[in-house]
Amino acid sequence: MPRKAKGQRPTFFTDPQVEKVLAMTMALAGEVSVLRERLDTVERLAEAKGLFSRQDIEAYRPSARVAEERERWRKEYIARILRVVHEELEAIERGETAASYDAVVRAVSSS
Amino acid sequence: MYEQIQHPLLPQATHDERARQHFVHALKEHLATTVSPGNRVVYEKRAKPRFVRETQRAPQNHHEVRRVMKDEPYYQIWSALQRISQEMMWDAVASSVERQLPDLVARAKQNKGELGSLTLNPDLPIPPYHTAVDIHCQPGGYHSETCPDDVAAGAIYDRAVHIYVMGRMGPLNDDLGQSLIAYLKTAYPDLQPRTILDLGCAVGHSTLPYVDAYPDAEVYAIDVAAPMLRYAHARAQALGKRVHFSQQNAERTTFADASFDLIVSHILLHETSASALRNIMRECYRLLVPGGMMFHVEVPQYGGLDPYDAFMLDWDTYNNNEPFWGALHEMDLVALASEAGFAPTRVVQTMIPSALKVARSRTGLFQGGDFAGRGQWFVFGAAK
Repeated sequence: MPRKAKGQRPTFFTDPQVEKVLAMTMALAGEVSVLRERLDTVERLAEAKGLFSRQDIEAYRPSARVAEERERWRKEYIARILRVVHEELEAIERGETAASYDAVVRAVSSS
Repeated sequence: MYEQIQHPLLPQATHDERARQHFVHALKEHLATTVSPGNRVVYEKRAKPRFVRETQRAPQNHHEVRRVMKDEPYYQIWSALQRISQEMMWDAVASSVERQLPDLVARAKQNKGELGSLTLNPDLPIPPYHTAVDIHCQPGGYHSETCPDDVAAGAIYDRAVHIYVMGRMGPLNDDLGQSLIAYLKTAYPDLQPRTILDLGCAVGHSTLPYVDAYPDAEVYAIDVAAPMLRYAHARAQALGKRVHFSQQNAERTTFADASFDLIVSHILLHETSASALRNIMRECYRLLVPGGMMFHVEVPQYGGLDPYDAFMLDWDTYNNNEPFWGALHEMDLVALASEAGFAPTRVVQTMIPSALKVARSRTGLFQGGDFAGRGQWFVFGAAK
């Protein structure tokens, strides 16, 4: 089945790349919504089947060990999302530029 | 959130597919009710004053409004999100239909009962205005087929229309038919058509109400797209409605002269072209009995609209693969009908309210998806 509608796609921003990023962001937002709804179903089914209630979830207090694990996961997760920002800083620290990369290309091509 | 009736032909959605479609529905509703109205503010506070400063006058038509709005960041992001929501809608529905297509094809074939009929013509050329771009961004358009006895385009359309209009055309998407019928029953109480033809019927969602409204009439419906018609016939049978579907182009059908008392169409005209529209008018004239009537439901003409409203309504022309939308809505319809033979004095142009209660939740803005503009439909008709 075709996935793209025939007809040139309009662009609204000066930089069409921004539009693609927005489309990806909205797709991700959609998938978060799908996950949220699935989790809600799990919770409601668990409650209906007497496994645990949503109040149990609210009342749940993680142990120190669990809290630490979660903290670690959260840090990794945020760092992964902001990867491009962190890497930009790293590049600045190393003095990397487009010109310095081109210099490498020239260097390895000629030696 | 309004839900669609899960009739036997409607694609079944898995938990996640339904959640994905719900998200698009909610996104569209949010854009329509919360983001889109801000464009008016941007226009009044920024764009219009800028235009006035530059030209010493206010924008006079939707083209001038577009010129000044297209650089507004708020309008840009709303437009981008609106377009993205449309693409996400087709994707969320098409992926679900693709998963269950063999089952849908089987279900449609199984339904081949005695109610009504289905006549396909594989040699019918698909008109260029349907192949040039995929109308309203449905990938593959109305007509593309990917397997024998394909019903995918119809199944996708039936589900996606409900999401596109945010449920506001009712649980069977039949608001257009219901509303025109309500108007006809009031304005023409003596009308008792024996034969009715619906042009460009797609999945027959607007066609079916005529079966109950005029129980003594034979109801015919045509479309150029086979996957729509296969699905439409199976859907009609599943809902217990007797309709004769056939694959024909409304520009020139195979019906004999004076075959119909009533010819209707529902948001068909803007999906044709200037020359096709003239042909359709002539064909309506040929097919009607003397005294017979045609009625076409559309979104409002731009003439008489506030330039900003016309600009918002015109968004689909450039951004939603509706290339004929703008030209149609600037056309002189009296001249169009009279050129085809209808007496100018017998041409009707009026706004009609929606027959459905859910329509009252429309935003009242002129914008795609909300349709109708101010919650009303435009009707263009003529008596022969």
